[in-house]
Amino acid sequence: MKTTKTIFQQGNHKWVAIVRDPEKPNYLVDTNEYLVTHGGKGLLLDPGGAEIFPAVFSALSAEFDPSALAGIFASHQDPDICSSLALWLEFNPGMRCYVSWLWSSFIPHFGGTADTFVPIPDEGTDISLEGLILQAVPAHYLHSSGNFNLYDKIAKVMFSGDVGAALLPPGEDSLFVEDFDRHIRHAEGFHRRWMGSNEAKRRWCERVSQMDIDMLCPQHGAIYRGADVQRFINWFDDLQVGIVKA
Amino acid sequence: MNALTMSTARPPPAGDDLLRIVRINEEIKRVVGVSFKINIMALNAIFLAKRAGTAARGFGVLSNELRVFSQDLRTCMEALTGLIHGCVNEVSIVLQDIRFARLLREAAELAPQSAAIAVLQRREDENEAHRQKLASLRGQLKRALEDAFQMVELGGVLAKSAKIEAAYGQSFAPSLSQVSGEFDGIVEEIRGSLESLRRSAFFTGH
Repeated sequence: MKTTKTIFQQGNHKWVAIVRDPEKPNYLVDTNEYLVTHGGKGLLLDPGGAEIFPAVFSALSAEFDPSALAGIFASHQDPDICSSLALWLEFNPGMRCYVSWLWSSFIPHFGGTADTFVPIPDEGTDISLEGLILQAVPAHYLHSSGNFNLYDKIAKVMFSGDVGAALLPPGEDSLFVEDFDRHIRHAEGFHRRWMGSNEAKRRWCERVSQMDIDMLCPQHGAIYRGADVQRFINWFDDLQVGIVKA
Repeated sequence: MNALTMSTARPPPAGDDLLRIVRINEEIKRVVGVSFKINIMALNAIFLAKRAGTAARGFGVLSNELRVFSQDLRTCMEALTGLIHGCVNEVSIVLQDIRFARLLREAAELAPQSAAIAVLQRREDENEAHRQKLASLRGQLKRALEDAFQMVELGGVLAKSAKIEAAYGQSFAPSLSQVSGEFDGIVEEIRGSLESLRRSAFFTGH
């Protein structure tokens, strides 16, 4: 079963990371899910693949009533992001799924109806969670061609999807990046291969470096906090991406 | 009954069913192909009977009946194909049900105090409705297959009668015998196909 860690709390406004399942089969990529709660409602960010649904559900339901989930934010269309959608909808069929307009007719193959999807325009949008404004920030081509991050100005937390992701070896499973130089080696190959556009990467770095971010939370690997956030942005800005060693 | 213990006892054969349906469909396609062959052969036989004149009048009537039989058989096979498509659709739903029920069951086991048990129970009820719909389609397909089999029995009688009539064809008797023999062979081939469909594990369950 996965564990939950509250990474931000201010009254009923919370960010909960759902991470690290020791029983997960090795053939499934490890993922982080995040729950944002405010005013008794929740938004689940990249809820994960169908096969890990039981682990995510049980961890989440220990913290929060799943029927109070108002929506799901899908950073992009991959199966490890949201192939569990139909299962979450079992608990609240009225739940909305926020996703790039580019994928709003693809993701319904995972579940949902015409009413489920809220397409996000390329320039991004604001998503309200019981009055808390969360900002869908464009991150197109990083790696998906229709890709968004989610920024919470109050918590100063940015959910960055696959940006900042690291495929950590067994044993290195701390929730936060403790040693940037050591950690980033596990992120380098992933970013070079998965991120398809240097231009898109440069724009993202420019945009994000102007934002006030305390924590950068990727979908795989550990969370960057404090000075490591800017350190990561600088590292990413310098990295040549879209490269295959073949 | 508790939803957690409800459906673990019944191993659903839906995955095997999909494979069986594919095989049934392939056999139906074969029968359609063969029935088209009968149609062409019957047309030729009608022309041959016309050339043979009054001596082959009975053969001509039977050839015409065989042509009608081949068209009826094709219509019957089209109806079977429609039912097959319905079964594929329903088996796919049942397969998805099985996967979702497994995942919800695991979630309910890990979080027994959550709403998962109620959701699983509701799911199981819906799944049962899907299983019943599939069982109903399975019954319809079986009945349609029996109807097709009856039709082929009639085709067999027509082919055998054509064999007898061929003997009265005077100088055309050898040609008419050859054609009627081919009719009989093809009808037997169709009968063999339908027999194998009747024995399909999709109907027998083993």
